[in-house]
Amino acid sequence: MSIFASILLAAEEHDPAHSIHWLWPEQAELIYGTISSLLIFGLLWKFAGPAIAAGMAARTERIQGELDASASAKTSAEAEAAGIRQAAGDIDSERQRLFAEADAQAEALLADGRARLEQEVAELNMRAEADIASAGGRVNDEFRAEISRLSNVATERVLAGGLIDASIQQDLIEAFISKVGAS
Amino acid sequence: MSDARIDGYARALFEVARAEGTIDEVEDELFRFARSYESSDALRNALTDEMIPAGKRQAIVEDLLGGKATATTTQLVSMVVGSGRGRDLPAIIDKLVERASSSKNLEVAEVRSAVALTDDQQDRLKAALANATGKAVNLKVIVDPSILGGIVATVGDSVIDGSVRTRVDQLKSRL
Repeated sequence: MSIFASILLAAEEHDPAHSIHWLWPEQAELIYGTISSLLIFGLLWKFAGPAIAAGMAARTERIQGELDASASAKTSAEAEAAGIRQAAGDIDSERQRLFAEADAQAEALLADGRARLEQEVAELNMRAEADIASAGGRVNDEFRAEISRLSNVATERVLAGGLIDASIQQDLIEAFISKVGAS
Repeated sequence: MSDARIDGYARALFEVARAEGTIDEVEDELFRFARSYESSDALRNALTDEMIPAGKRQAIVEDLLGGKATATTTQLVSMVVGSGRGRDLPAIIDKLVERASSSKNLEVAEVRSAVALTDDQQDRLKAALANATGKAVNLKVIVDPSILGGIVATVGDSVIDGSVRTRVDQLKSRL
């Protein structure tokens, strides 16, 4: 063995860094380590604790908000469902109302149409009767006018034919004088 | 022409005729002339046409009346026509006749007959009308063939119609 190997072997045999126990460190290391760990935990507790607590509180609040929103959405959905159910009921009643109204309107239209038709028929009858009466009256008037015209012509012809001769003239004059004198 | 002017002319003519002492004759002639004037479109147009000189219109009057009416009547008509009042001649003459009748307390009775009346008929008719109206009448007879027969007498506002024409018209109306 060389000198170098002899030194290494001697060093391994006397190294203070090596623990005697396979699990526990050296005593000093245990002490320093424990203190360090306590310091680290203390610092963490001091400085990171509030932030962690705040984060946890925010998370709790966020989750609560989501829960509230879900509850609100559920309530809203239930209300909407109720509204839809009510609307469905309303639609049904509205449909029935509309049908009833349509029936009533159809009935009224029918009655109105019948009444109007009857009135028109009555008016047509009246007009026809009036036309017939008017035509009859016109014919009568024309007939009368024709009779009158023919009578006038006949009268004028008779008078022009010298029906009133001198003796009749004298009779007429004498009759007038007697009538006026007697009055 | 206004009523005042017609009255004025009538009064003037009346005074002239009365002064002449021929009022009865003149009013009778004027009355007949007025009725002829009314019934003749040609005469009326000739005597009222402003395009015909007044002298010529007066000559027409003198031709028509000369020898058939008294000189006073001819002159009076000629004067009215010459003064451009020919259109109002009938109204003037009617006023004159009315005035002449009033002066004698008579009512003018205008009688239209289809044929001429005899003097006897006129006298009896005058008496009958006087009896019917209660007034003495101044009878003015107009021969009007258009009434066909009988008589129509007008005394003031009263009309006594005994004409054949009216009866025929009534018959036509009834028919």
